[in-house]
Amino acid sequence: MPPTAVPSVSLAMLLADSRLPVGAHVVSGALEAALLDGLPREQVGAYMRARMATIVQVEAGTAVVARQAAAAGRAARGTGAPGEDGPDADAPGADAPGSDGLGAAALAEVARAWEARTPARPQREIGIALGDGLARLARTVWPEAFPARAGRGPHLPRPVVLGAIAAHAGLTAVDLVRLVAYDDAQTVASALLKLEPGDPLAAAGLVLEACAALEPSVPELSRLTSPTAIPAAGAPQIEEWATAQSVLPRRLFRA
Amino acid sequence: MPDTPHTHPYRSLRLGVAGPVGTGKSSLIATLCRALAAEIEIGVITNDIYTDEDARFLRSAGVLDPARIRAVETGACPHTAIRDDVTANLAAVEEMEEEFSPLDLVLVESGGDNLTATFSPALVDAQIFVLDVAGGGDVARKGGPGIARADLLVVNKTDLAPYVGVDVAQMVADAESAREGAPVLALSRSDAASVAALRSWLLGLLAAHRDGAHEPQDPGPMAPHFHAEDDEHDHSHGESHDHAHDYEHPHDHEHPHEPVPAGSGA
Repeated sequence: MPPTAVPSVSLAMLLADSRLPVGAHVVSGALEAALLDGLPREQVGAYMRARMATIVQVEAGTAVVARQAAAAGRAARGTGAPGEDGPDADAPGADAPGSDGLGAAALAEVARAWEARTPARPQREIGIALGDGLARLARTVWPEAFPARAGRGPHLPRPVVLGAIAAHAGLTAVDLVRLVAYDDAQTVASALLKLEPGDPLAAAGLVLEACAALEPSVPELSRLTSPTAIPAAGAPQIEEWATAQSVLPRRLFRA
Repeated sequence: MPDTPHTHPYRSLRLGVAGPVGTGKSSLIATLCRALAAEIEIGVITNDIYTDEDARFLRSAGVLDPARIRAVETGACPHTAIRDDVTANLAAVEEMEEEFSPLDLVLVESGGDNLTATFSPALVDAQIFVLDVAGGGDVARKGGPGIARADLLVVNKTDLAPYVGVDVAQMVADAESAREGAPVLALSRSDAASVAALRSWLLGLLAAHRDGAHEPQDPGPMAPHFHAEDDEHDHSHGESHDHAHDYEHPHDHEHPHEPVPAGSGA
């Protein structure tokens, strides 16, 4: 399909839509394990806000820095800043994850920074699986920047792929941060509806409250440029639940 | 279509197996592996709703190297994983093909779902839809996209027919009528002739795939002759139920209803 330049908000809506076929419907944000471990239903909103203060800081910060790294790769090749020149102006594969372009090495460094801040192995594994799904979408929708490859590697985590897409397709840094936050909240809220019967409309309210909780961090996160500056917000309880989730028998959700 | 870079001159035949819960999808895959694993290279992807029970069953059946059997989790949405969002399944298929290259055949078993679940042609080249006699002789007549337009419809567990009061020949005839002549196979794993018919159908499909003569078809989300909703509608209004309605499709009347041997049309 021919890529057309669309505004940042349209890209954000596309990427945040749970109907987007990138394999994310198997994820609950470890909510399944948390509920089994005794997290009361009425504290799920607090759980979502706790994720905003920890996991989402890492994910959103990683995405922003990856966007910057991919944009720098483009600039070094004289293809301009993200979103300014339209997707068609790009040299084929110059900044694609997996190519030999400058962007690829920089993205790998961002991925390492993300790994160091994502200590639970199941969290890294699902991050990679979701990154692969998103990369598959990118290769179809933006083939000029994400060329088909022999083999399937390298495997980059979701926030890094998201940042590379943002740089290429023109998603602004603030929209990118809010997208990561919304996606995390909606993942937990949607899983809640399958795990515990309740009012779906109330779950929508929880999503907005969680997004609001991240708002104070948006300016700072969206200005990050260096991998070393990505927040390293540990969340031992969430990491424990993510680990427990990965070995749950008869689970509904993979993660 | 998702990207499927043709890095090898030949890509395996990807065959989906769908059908309601308990109709014998895993057992059919075990039967296929038993019949073919000595002559072709096979991999299997299973989709359970929330376990890896099917993968365990197949591994314990001892019909294939356990490493060639992988479970994909579907987040309680088995239909989504084979149709609307095939990402996880496609990744598993590609991984399997890469690891055991060259494979001839990758079987993808859907998590048991209702009659409307079919595979996207983005995931598989062809699909088998499995019903069984124990599910009721009238199911084939009710139709649905899998029943009407899968590459092969299997009526499974024919050995149980006497115990559940189902006329297999009638059920096969109904299915053939709903499918307008597309192949229907009456199967029992204890009936060697029916297993041989299944085997030859698959080898024929594999040959067509290798020759580039096979074109993946999308059964689509809905069938043109789907009567089950009409049925429910009548009931919900408490009107006297007119059974003739179920039979108004001309094919039901035209069909000779003769006994059909196992493997007919295959």
